[in-house]
Amino acid sequence: MGTRRFHIAVMSLLLLGVVAAGCAKRPATTSVAAPPPPVPAPAAPPATSAPAPSAPEPASSTPAAAPATPTPAPAPAATTVRPVPAEFAAIPELRDIQFDFDQYDIRPDAARTLDANAAWLKSNANHLLLIEGHCDERGTNEYNLALGERRAKSAMNYLVAQGVQAARITIISYGEERPLCSEHNDTCWQQNRRGHFLVKPR
Amino acid sequence: MRRTSVVVVIALLALAAVAVPWSRTPAPRAQGVDVYINITGGGAKRLNIAVPEFTVIAGTDTAALGKLLASVAGQDLTFSGLFSVVAGTGSIPPNNPEALRQSWAEFAAAGAHAAVHGLVALRGDRLETEMRLYDLTSPEHRLIAAKKFEGPTAQPRRLAHKIADEVVLQFTGEPGVADTKLAYVQGPAGAKEIWISDYDGANPVAVTKNGSINLMPVWSPDGRSLAMTSFVQGYPDLYRLFPFERRPVQTLAAFVGINSSPAWSPDGRSLAVTLSKDGNPEIYVLTVATGTLRRLTRHAGIDTEPVWSPTGQQIAFVSDRNGQPHIYVMDLDGSNVRQVTSSGFHTQPRWSPKGETIVYTQREGTHDLWAVSPDGSNPRRLTTGPGDNEGAAWAPNGRHLAFQSNRLGRWQVFAMLLDGSPPTQISQGPAEHTSPSWSPRLP
Repeated sequence: MGTRRFHIAVMSLLLLGVVAAGCAKRPATTSVAAPPPPVPAPAAPPATSAPAPSAPEPASSTPAAAPATPTPAPAPAATTVRPVPAEFAAIPELRDIQFDFDQYDIRPDAARTLDANAAWLKSNANHLLLIEGHCDERGTNEYNLALGERRAKSAMNYLVAQGVQAARITIISYGEERPLCSEHNDTCWQQNRRGHFLVKPR
Repeated sequence: MRRTSVVVVIALLALAAVAVPWSRTPAPRAQGVDVYINITGGGAKRLNIAVPEFTVIAGTDTAALGKLLASVAGQDLTFSGLFSVVAGTGSIPPNNPEALRQSWAEFAAAGAHAAVHGLVALRGDRLETEMRLYDLTSPEHRLIAAKKFEGPTAQPRRLAHKIADEVVLQFTGEPGVADTKLAYVQGPAGAKEIWISDYDGANPVAVTKNGSINLMPVWSPDGRSLAMTSFVQGYPDLYRLFPFERRPVQTLAAFVGINSSPAWSPDGRSLAVTLSKDGNPEIYVLTVATGTLRRLTRHAGIDTEPVWSPTGQQIAFVSDRNGQPHIYVMDLDGSNVRQVTSSGFHTQPRWSPKGETIVYTQREGTHDLWAVSPDGSNPRRLTTGPGDNEGAAWAPNGRHLAFQSNRLGRWQVFAMLLDGSPPTQISQGPAEHTSPSWSPRLP
């Protein structure tokens, strides 16, 4: 069997040519045992609406979901102790500033707000400051994380230039991940392109 | 020594094949593969293939697995863009050559060029399958190939995927991508978790459940782990998790500032990442085993979203150094920076597995996917709405892209071929699904 050479021209298919084939082979039945399928260890508790994964083969059923405290990489992955963001709180005296689309320079209206924020911070030197940088939902997530970082840094640089100690200030970017406003319009987007200020007593 | 050379070259756009870069590199021909479909990027006719219900040769098929296996393998072959499945009913009785001949004659009369005869044996918690691939254009319905696969009875879909991938291998010289996984982000802003599913969206499972914000999952080249950015410790830090193993999450980078945009080197030993620890977002290469960092960019603007060329010798990235964000390419030591795109708002570069294309996202009011050659030539649009289409991820064969689209209202993951044919919705359900990453072929 299997001794002839076929050229199959099928319907409208264009037969281009013959690619030299290797030695003729009888249709050999090969047997390959599928390796143990990777089955995710389910996150605990079982995810809502997700079908429970079947029992993993070698993997254990212990949840592989991110634990509260991930283990460090072999080498030190961080060098500096950072304050806990959740310990900071917004206060009415420190107002948000806003940014233009895809910009991180300080607008004149934002400068006036920052002047007032700087004055409060200088007369309340016992407070540490956390500056959050935020973006609207336009643009893409990864880029917005970098853009939010630049916005927070711009605000920090401005405050430091006004005499606020740099050592009191921590910045964090949330990119587009924590919008103030969830509608899809210019008003909402402008509210979301912001620098947000939170403090905690030393 | 006899020669059998059945060459079905499907290439209506024969000359277009030359213009489609990913067809330039001949797919590796596996031993014993006799039939060849030249994969062109677009316009190729599909081969008509029959995939009747699998024949049960042992055990009792109470769960209708024979039907499921045929259905899933048929969906995989349709998804590949290479085949149209010819409808047929019923299964072929076992050990009955005359019934088989009759069935193939009927499928051939219905226009089928090839047929898959699946056999399945149910042995408790193990499932044994065999696929036999026939050429229905030959007078005696020549057997092209046969191969057995086995696995847990609880995972019949995976066996069907392996069978479909083998059929694609037999016709193209390169296995299909049905036996792969997708990772993606599920949930609204502020509450995003990482999930994984089969490539077709089946079997979705959460792999983080920390109640924080988890972003940008990326499969490692060995398919065993995912790198991601997570706010689980309060700040955007980089982690590695092992979804199939009893192994804790590893912290990759938790420096002051952002730790984001992980991209695995082709050898899996390093990650290109974005860190702002030195003042503003810059690109570094992190050696995973040692934690060693090497800085690649030094620029006052934003440098982020690194991705490796498949050779591992170059890195594409996004920079706003000329105003708006554009795509750039640099050598692995940070030298020889070239601007690839200009005049527009371009992010999310994704270098194709065969190296000839960089897909990216262009913002013009809404977002759409574009492609460009790494030297900046031949920019071309891949999607034209509706809605936003962004966050592309290449399938390992470089023929499909997964991406996120809000064309139906909320964000869902879709997959498409690069020939302009309509995309297929992958993720389902009311949640938002974003940021897909396509795994390599599973071991």
